[in-house]
Amino acid sequence: MAECSAGMGLAYPSLLNPKTGYFNRKKIMTKKVYRSVPIKPDEVTPKNIYMNRRKFLKGMGLTGLGVLLAGCAPALSPDTAIPEGAPTEDLQDALTDYEAITNYINYYEFTTRKDGVAELAKQFTTDPWSVEVSGLVENPQVFSMDEILDNFSQEERIYRMRCVEGWSMVIPWLGFPLHKLLEEVKPTAEARYVLFETALVPEEMPNAETGMFPFPYLEGLRLDEAMHDLTILATGLYNEPLTPQNGAPIRLVVPWKYGFKSSKSLVRIALVADQPPTLWSTVAPQEYGFYANVNPEVDHPRWSQATERRIGESGRIPTLFMNGYTEEVMPLYEGMDLRINY
Amino acid sequence: MVQTKQKKQLAKWLMIFTHLGSILPLALFGWAALRGQLGFNPVETALQQSGRAAVTLLILSLTVTPLRKIFNLKILHKLRKPLGLYAALYAGLHFAAFTVWDYGLNLRLIWLEFIQKPFLLLGLGSLVILGLLAATSFRYWQVKLRSGWYWLQRAVYFAAVLAIAHYLLAVKGDLLTLQGDYTRPLIASGLLLVLFLLRVPFIYQPLQRWVSQSTRQTLG
Repeated sequence: MAECSAGMGLAYPSLLNPKTGYFNRKKIMTKKVYRSVPIKPDEVTPKNIYMNRRKFLKGMGLTGLGVLLAGCAPALSPDTAIPEGAPTEDLQDALTDYEAITNYINYYEFTTRKDGVAELAKQFTTDPWSVEVSGLVENPQVFSMDEILDNFSQEERIYRMRCVEGWSMVIPWLGFPLHKLLEEVKPTAEARYVLFETALVPEEMPNAETGMFPFPYLEGLRLDEAMHDLTILATGLYNEPLTPQNGAPIRLVVPWKYGFKSSKSLVRIALVADQPPTLWSTVAPQEYGFYANVNPEVDHPRWSQATERRIGESGRIPTLFMNGYTEEVMPLYEGMDLRINY
Repeated sequence: MVQTKQKKQLAKWLMIFTHLGSILPLALFGWAALRGQLGFNPVETALQQSGRAAVTLLILSLTVTPLRKIFNLKILHKLRKPLGLYAALYAGLHFAAFTVWDYGLNLRLIWLEFIQKPFLLLGLGSLVILGLLAATSFRYWQVKLRSGWYWLQRAVYFAAVLAIAHYLLAVKGDLLTLQGDYTRPLIASGLLLVLFLLRVPFIYQPLQRWVSQSTRQTLG
């Protein structure tokens, strides 16, 4: 808690409840929320570092393990409690309801109405699916979803999700670190960035060809950001496979960046030498930068970045620098002016 | 005599219809709130619906005079005032949703928002004008301010321009390349432009003549 409230504590001394670090909040339930510790590059042992509450068996196993009821606030059963000594901290963040996560969504290829995506995405074909991993790699591959679920064990990661529009959620993702996939394809020495391409299926995406936005939805990360252990490819949430509206069957999740960086329904991941053009930094470069790290100090012309509204709760809460993952990700940005590289 | 009575009846119904239609957005919002159907981000819903209602009613209030002039429909004249007042009401509710509901009247945060976001200042400017016009819309002020009152009420054009600019800038995307969901604010901008053009004498006068001639021919 100390490191995450430090930044905000200075900015909002009067708003903070000294006990909780928050203000103006109705607590729905107190829940341990995953917090990681800084990871040293030479010791990638996520099992010990992260709260690996449940290891998910591949593919079919998802449904075999007592699935939590949709919509219920999931109380963790004792056998899945965080192991003693695991570096998690109590942030008193409640998980956002499944209903909200699967019905309040920005997915502009379908529609710009957040509450309309779920209905329109119902028929989106996510099986069969494959992801091409190519570009500056020694070992380019096309992974089928089955191969992905077979080769990479799925783990639960509870992350905050902060949308650039000033709202946020706490989502229990199911997925695996992106670096595991990248290690399989072996990026070459020239590779410095990673490009992510979202599926573009005009027959199934009613807003794909209206000219409203230049699709396909492209996003990008610097290679070291992509290799960071917090960066995951998610295949499920709340112990269930991803719904089409949430980016099924596989999507990116980068918890310290604004939500639009975490692109959905990936069909291609390419290692490249130069900073790739991303959708929002192309459409409105003065508003959305390439980095798009959550930063309450860098203002946006439309929405408050200093505070946010947690979906399902009332009032506003201070936005945390790097969405609360400062300690883990700050080494990535040493010596960089984050006001310029917003 | 009979005709006058019918006209009075019609005027009465038009007025009732105007009031009901103007209250409808608020009623629908209240009904949805009672049923817990304001969505997962009720504040956002409130902001969007109140803003849209304000812009719609503002445009309707500006439509009255051109229609009346071109089609010689004196009966519409009295609708202008309620439409304008309802527009001001929704603008006020929009502001209240932002300051009270969203920001819990935290003046420091609200102040920061206003100094950082020009589009909010545009909206605030529009609200101030509409509030002023609403406050002086009554007979007392009309008499007291004499010709100044008519001059003052013209500020509604300025309020409309500010409101639409606020709307355009509130949309996520890029205004210069129009990439984003600009359908609604662009329709509003287009309507406002047409309404402004219809105020220009050399545009509305030929229309007026053309309409009166064709009515005479039909009658003749």
